Amino acid sequence: MRPSESAEARIIRLLRMRPDGHVSGERISRTLGMSRAAVWKHIGALRKAGYEIKAVPSKGYMLGETALEALARFNAAEISAGLTAKTIGREIFFYPELTSTNQKAMELGRLGEKEGSVVIAERQSAGKGRLGRKWESPSGVNLYTSIILRPKIPTFEAQKLTLMLAAAVAETVAEFSPVRPEVKWPNDILINSKKAAGILTEMDAEPDRVNFIVAGIGVNVNMTAADTPPFLRPIATSIRQVRGEDISRAVFAQRLYSNVEKWYDVFLKDGFEPVVAGWKRFFSSEGKAVKVTVFNRVIEGLCMGIDKGGALLVRTPSGAVERIISGDVETAGSSHLRGLSPFKG
Amino acid sequence: MDLKDIKAIYKFLKDTDIVEIEVEGKDGKLRLRRGGAGHEVIVEKAGQAPKVEVEPKKEAAPSKPDNIRIVTSPMVGTFYRSPSPEAQSFVEMDSFVKSGQALCIIEAMKLMNEVESEFSGKVVSILVENGQPVEYGEPLFHIEVSK
Repeated sequence: MRPSESAEARIIRLLRMRPDGHVSGERISRTLGMSRAAVWKHIGALRKAGYEIKAVPSKGYMLGETALEALARFNAAEISAGLTAKTIGREIFFYPELTSTNQKAMELGRLGEKEGSVVIAERQSAGKGRLGRKWESPSGVNLYTSIILRPKIPTFEAQKLTLMLAAAVAETVAEFSPVRPEVKWPNDILINSKKAAGILTEMDAEPDRVNFIVAGIGVNVNMTAADTPPFLRPIATSIRQVRGEDISRAVFAQRLYSNVEKWYDVFLKDGFEPVVAGWKRFFSSEGKAVKVTVFNRVIEGLCMGIDKGGALLVRTPSGAVERIISGDVETAGSSHLRGLSPFKG
Repeated sequence: MDLKDIKAIYKFLKDTDIVEIEVEGKDGKLRLRRGGAGHEVIVEKAGQAPKVEVEPKKEAAPSKPDNIRIVTSPMVGTFYRSPSPEAQSFVEMDSFVKSGQALCIIEAMKLMNEVESEFSGKVVSILVENGQPVEYGEPLFHIEVSK
């Protein structure tokens, strides 16, 4: 399925503009520049997708839906209908199920799929986490999406995009969550210290330049505790769990794509510095004791923030500052390192 | 080498993690080292400053036979020989690889870069241990190509 700015999306928009009235078939066909018969066909497709569209002779079409029904809708046409981003999300590959959206997006990228195209799955059977870990992906409640980007940057700069993505995801979560999200280096998004969103970025590159990047973003949107596998309940949360009500996943996706587009443009036009500033608004580990697992080595110390390239800086008890490029960070609240001052030589 | 070149090299360096670079042109050598005012020199191990030497790319190391190709790291990061700790390594010693085949993953800040071989041939050395940090341009594999 690949309706980019599809007729269906435009029909949904038209019908929603007159929530209590009818829109004539003639007007729809004129606005969309297609025959009445073609309009009829698209209305049929929308009905099949669950939209209750009533047709009244001599008056036209009306979308009968409650606010709750509208909120629950999640499909490519629904996302397209309210999308404000210019590039990201303009092409949507929507699937009921995938092994992982990243895997599909990598395939599409290799086939030359253009920048900004996105993959969405209602459910992932093997959602990807870091180092082969699984991202739990229950059906019908969350957002699992991968975005294809084709930045013209050298390969060794590409990791900066992961902070750009974190800034965009954190900002989007903040728009919907009454509790301010925090970012855990480099790009996990936490609410109340529990994981609400994760980002796994994969790259296809030549030694000197990036071919394309796939930004895999998983956001726990409407997942309840009951939807969450028991072993994850102590460490995972969702927007719903702090907000107390469901939000529209389609609207969340629209905002996410807009925010990623905005921060991506900032990165390409103004460089990494403003991106770091945007990221830091959600970063709270600086000055705190942290424990970082780097492969099979554990580094404990005081978090000194990040350097110009985005690497994590940790001052160990010996006074040396470790520059960490990859690893799992925990904020070690009760650590013996608490007494260490970040300003002590 | 004139001022324009030096400026260009400095500009290139500024946005990277490279601390020191040595460039050899036909009319001499230039060594640039970042540090000093406004720039923190970070000590990774006690008493040892991180040092990255980017050597001008030669076709192969001079001591190697001319059918050995070197695969280098395209970025600073962590080197992994397999997609997950439990999974099989992409390649072993003496594995035959085709051009375009995945050799390893380099991770930097949760960006996973599957490094592919540019050459077809036999893996004759694996120069980095699994899970170890690698620098930009650091040799990772030696591939013996058929003559």
